[in-house]
Amino acid sequence: MSTERTVEKSTVEKSTVEERIDRAATTVGSLWPIHSFVTANPLAGFEDLPFDEAVGQAADLLGGRGYPSPETFRAALDRGQIDPRILDSELTERGYEADPGTLLERMEAEAESTSATGEPGFRAADPEGTDPDVRRADRVLTKWLSAFLDEGQARWSMPNREAGFYRAVRSVAAHDRRIPDEGVVADLPESPIDAIEAVLEPYPESQWVPVFEEQFAALSGWTGFINRRADDDGAWQSAFPIALEGYLAVRLALLDGFGVDLEPSTGRDGGTVGPADGIADAFLSAWEASYRGDLVEAVAAESEALDDAASADRGSADRPDAQLVFCIDTRSEVVRRHVEATGDYETHGYAGFFGIPMEYRGYGSEVSNDACPPILDPKHHVTEAPADGDTRASRDRWSSLREAAGEAVETLKTNPATAFGFVENAGSGYGLALAARTLVPGRVRDLLVGADDAVPDDHEFCDQTVDHRGDRAGDLPVGLTREEKVEYAATAFELMGWETFGRLVVFAGHAGETANNPYDSSLDCGACAGNPGGPNARLLAAVCNDESVRADLRDRGFDVPEDTVFLAGQHNTTTDEIELYDGHVPESHDDDLDRLRADLDAAREHAAAERVGSTDGDDTASVDGADGGASVRETERRAADWAETRPEWGLAGNAGFVIGPRGLTSDLDLDGRAFLHSYDWSTDPDGDALEAILTGPMVVTQWINAQYYFSTVDNAAYGSGSKVTQNPVGNVGVYQGNGGDLMTGLPLQSVMAADDEPYHQPLRLSTVVHAPVDRVTEVLADHGKLTGLLDNDWLSLTVVDPTREHRAFHYEDGLEWSSASEAPDARRAVPNAPAVADD
Amino acid sequence: MDRTMAGRTSKPTVGALPDTTAGSPFVPAVLTWLVWSLFAASVAVLVARVRLGTSWEVPGVIGVDGLTVLLWVVVAFFSGVVHSYSRRYMAGSRHETGFFLAVFGFTVVVMGLAAADHVGLFAVLWLAMGLVMAELIGTVDGWKQARAAASVARTYFLASSALLSVALTTLWWTTGETTISGIAAVADGLDGTAWLVAAVALVLAAMIQSALVPFHGWLLSSMTAPTPASALMHAGFVNAGGVLLTRFAPVLTVDATLMLGVVAVGATSALLGKLLKAVQTDVKGELGCSTVGQMGFMIMQAGLGFFGAAITHLVLHGFYKAYHFLSAGERIEHASPTHEASSEAGVAGLVTVLLTGLAGGALFAALTGKGTSVDGGLLLALFVVLTTLHAARSVVERASLPGPARYGAVPLVFLPAITVYALVYEAISGVLSGLPVVSAPTELGAVHALVAVVFVAVYVAMEAGLHERSPRLYVALLNASQPASSTVSTATEEHDEY
Repeated sequence: MSTERTVEKSTVEKSTVEERIDRAATTVGSLWPIHSFVTANPLAGFEDLPFDEAVGQAADLLGGRGYPSPETFRAALDRGQIDPRILDSELTERGYEADPGTLLERMEAEAESTSATGEPGFRAADPEGTDPDVRRADRVLTKWLSAFLDEGQARWSMPNREAGFYRAVRSVAAHDRRIPDEGVVADLPESPIDAIEAVLEPYPESQWVPVFEEQFAALSGWTGFINRRADDDGAWQSAFPIALEGYLAVRLALLDGFGVDLEPSTGRDGGTVGPADGIADAFLSAWEASYRGDLVEAVAAESEALDDAASADRGSADRPDAQLVFCIDTRSEVVRRHVEATGDYETHGYAGFFGIPMEYRGYGSEVSNDACPPILDPKHHVTEAPADGDTRASRDRWSSLREAAGEAVETLKTNPATAFGFVENAGSGYGLALAARTLVPGRVRDLLVGADDAVPDDHEFCDQTVDHRGDRAGDLPVGLTREEKVEYAATAFELMGWETFGRLVVFAGHAGETANNPYDSSLDCGACAGNPGGPNARLLAAVCNDESVRADLRDRGFDVPEDTVFLAGQHNTTTDEIELYDGHVPESHDDDLDRLRADLDAAREHAAAERVGSTDGDDTASVDGADGGASVRETERRAADWAETRPEWGLAGNAGFVIGPRGLTSDLDLDGRAFLHSYDWSTDPDGDALEAILTGPMVVTQWINAQYYFSTVDNAAYGSGSKVTQNPVGNVGVYQGNGGDLMTGLPLQSVMAADDEPYHQPLRLSTVVHAPVDRVTEVLADHGKLTGLLDNDWLSLTVVDPTREHRAFHYEDGLEWSSASEAPDARRAVPNAPAVADD
Repeated sequence: MDRTMAGRTSKPTVGALPDTTAGSPFVPAVLTWLVWSLFAASVAVLVARVRLGTSWEVPGVIGVDGLTVLLWVVVAFFSGVVHSYSRRYMAGSRHETGFFLAVFGFTVVVMGLAAADHVGLFAVLWLAMGLVMAELIGTVDGWKQARAAASVARTYFLASSALLSVALTTLWWTTGETTISGIAAVADGLDGTAWLVAAVALVLAAMIQSALVPFHGWLLSSMTAPTPASALMHAGFVNAGGVLLTRFAPVLTVDATLMLGVVAVGATSALLGKLLKAVQTDVKGELGCSTVGQMGFMIMQAGLGFFGAAITHLVLHGFYKAYHFLSAGERIEHASPTHEASSEAGVAGLVTVLLTGLAGGALFAALTGKGTSVDGGLLLALFVVLTTLHAARSVVERASLPGPARYGAVPLVFLPAITVYALVYEAISGVLSGLPVVSAPTELGAVHALVAVVFVAVYVAMEAGLHERSPRLYVALLNASQPASSTVSTATEEHDEY
């Protein structure tokens, strides 16, 4: 069987099969495990195509729609969110003569002819065209995928998982009577590649890549998860490895066993752009341009005003009472406005991982999280070590008691001989809890918060392992070296363009608080990969308080006064409470701290009142200013209520990203729709900070924006459907109903006010940068990936140029700009003239 | 552009989001109010019955006895919780009103069923209960899998109704009685084929209703139902099997062999349900398998002659399972693949464990009277010993706990818990005291011994992890717990739109 020649031949073939798999795999998305939900563009694999082509191809491959529905457009038109003049010019540009109403009707007619029944958020599986044998294979596959990929849910896991997916399935296949006794699957070869080759033998090699692409797209949720898990190479992947190759081998073998013809369906090359998609594209562009027009106009006006004000009182830069740095997250915009209104506070926007790419493990935790955006790899491992022995002992007693109780309950429930007795003994207690959590969720929260306060929080008795002392955890060094600390601190101040420092500087991470919500991590900090941002904030505060770091910072031009104290905090985005980690603040700053705390409480009430008014509050629709306490109670109820499917709106509504000083936006109410990154062009002469912001935060915000966009336009294909029928599986994702494919994206309730009423406005991100346009051009010219995204219309970029009379320039194509300050149809390229310095 | 809404900073708003505030819908609000009124009324009736011993009846049609009143209170409570929960949970769903109407309708039907005395009325309400539950499973009617799951369930419920009709017709035919109370009064005289047909049909109808193996398919395919409907199903609907057996206890207890059969099917489901549960990876599937096991145990209690205990179990299990469904979303944790538990017990630990277990059993026997005489009750006491012992062991093994907690926690928590159970049991038995048969302990026999041995053996085997050595068993369990094929969403090629 193994003469040298055949061995050689098969190695050659193997590499080509693997290459083909890799090529086909580029269209596979990434689905993060739900406990660390990362917002990503579900069409990330298509970003090298123009937007309209990408959604067309994705529609063919994944079956999702790419544009908002005609009803959504009509509602936006009726509410005046789409400027009719802009719409006219967008339609004319695309050659549509009919009036918008007629065009919407045409869209509706086409939608009706192509779609089945209307059930928001549900896939109509088993459409007429699907081969029943494929469905049979899918069911066997999803059964074994969920068994293999389980991360600690089942008490009895699939046998032989450590051998990898292909081999594990191979070892159980003989016992599974639902696996056919025919074809390749009846006697799986030793290696997955051999299985793939055996199945594909009858097909010409030119068809292999299309076959792979089509098969990867079939259970897109599971394949996305496998893709991510293999890339991430975390603890579960090392223990129980799975690769797309092994999955593909099992899938193809099963299909072979069920006698499925693998011939790829034709007609999906090039991407079909339906005739109605052109209309939708015009409406979408007009809607975006309407929003962007208002935003740019307001920012440009503020830019001008800022300039005048700056020249009026130059040199009298007062020290603010405190400076607070929030995440660029859209939810920060609301609370920052209210914090600023309570006193002489300066607020800033910075990526919520505070620039430190770390892998973090909390005290007593068994698992580490990557606390940095998914575009970065962690560079440091940071843990918590108890500093205060007594507190630690008391906390350990509590946690081990709690753990023991949890473990006892779990084992009692599991063993057949004990589960029944347990239910009888504990039943009455569950009855009480049932009534309490349903009828008085707010009170239950008070009780739990009270109990929680009795036990010290980790940050109260633990220090982080800030300093690097030569040890490593896995591949990563533990802690930060002095140089790294200085670098992270300096980068933060450079990116935000800081020159003065108040007596208190607060780095506020953020996290959501919600009960009974599989998607709770989607409300945490996106820049921390779906984790709470508090630990990162704490780390940067500790770094900045380090005397040696401050000395080095002085050399870098950041003269941090002696009396400046950095402290961390965490913004609870559900209740708008800002908890300060103030354990180490010296007594000299007690008064400052007291004042700040009182002001934060007031800001919280106002922010809560604003947000409660905009959520579907049934009894609190008319909150008035004096009733801030009631609003706070309402947000607390939402945070704790196990029946609440919309505890907060997360980043829903996001549409804009403003990169510039806070002065540009501080006089505006952006309604929680804009990401805000602090940046001062005048402190960034060579554009390094701008480059960092455009290549980092802007890319991440575009991911988030795309996630919200696609979850809204097609919640069944790109979102995860209604929470009402979700079923969490394997600690990694959710099913709809009984099982099948993993759902991806956000749940319906995160983006829709009601089944038929979007809350999120599905618009692609409008970025506004406050900088000389040529500097932006230079940055873009160095980054083909960015220009690619812009040229392909995945987001838009407008520059408000303070050196050119605050005029706005809109990025067109191929590094060309049009002057956005003029009428939209009078586009004209701006020559790349050298910047004119204005001072 | 300016919004001067309260709570807002008075700054010009750019790109304000439209106000999508939805009004509070009328039907859900009214029905929620109504169902809690029903609960209050039921409690009032219960109090009146306990205090004054009153009972009500429309002769030949309706009879309100202890079981009726108890079920009214329990059903109205579960339904009230589900209504209140769904006010928030279902908000914005286009099925909200239909869902509330179905849940409320279900509540009314079940309350009627609890009071029905005429066999015809009983059968009709039984059928209606099943059909409404099938509707709830298919609430999201634009979703093909939900419709398929509803249809699977409907088929099972029609079969159970058919079996019930066979049983009731046979009983009416042989006794000439048209009421349940009438049949109960003359049940002693039943024998022969007619009795056998009626009794077996009753048991089968109960098995389908309570989703006992091998009739668990509908339950494990029912996760297309909105979560609160599942809570109601697992806390209310499946219990009807136990209620049926209790109502017709005089018929079943005619022959001890039949009761042994009931013990056997109950025990089988109890064991298999738990084994099926062990391999589930999805939260709702796991809860479903757990229900299969718990219902098996409840039916086994009935088979042992402890109908009062069966009713107590289904009430307490209802609390437990409704809670777990309503909180299904919080069962996501970031786990680690390596989980090493340090276990050290020592001699003192073992002694504590044994003593705690025995104390639990003794307390249970003393307070409930089950296990004090040599009958099937011993089996129930054995379960309590095992449960307490197991809990004590799992806590004692944790070296990280401070001493007093290690040895004291379980007695401190479990003995009062057993007392609470005993109180509930006694109270329920008290309320049920007017029924023809509340407790008819069976003689100890080989089947009891077998059940005891099997349970202890499984306990030891699971603890030792012996079962995990058989991939064949794993695959069999996994396949046996797969939902019906038409009810699974796998295709991504097409999808519905709005």
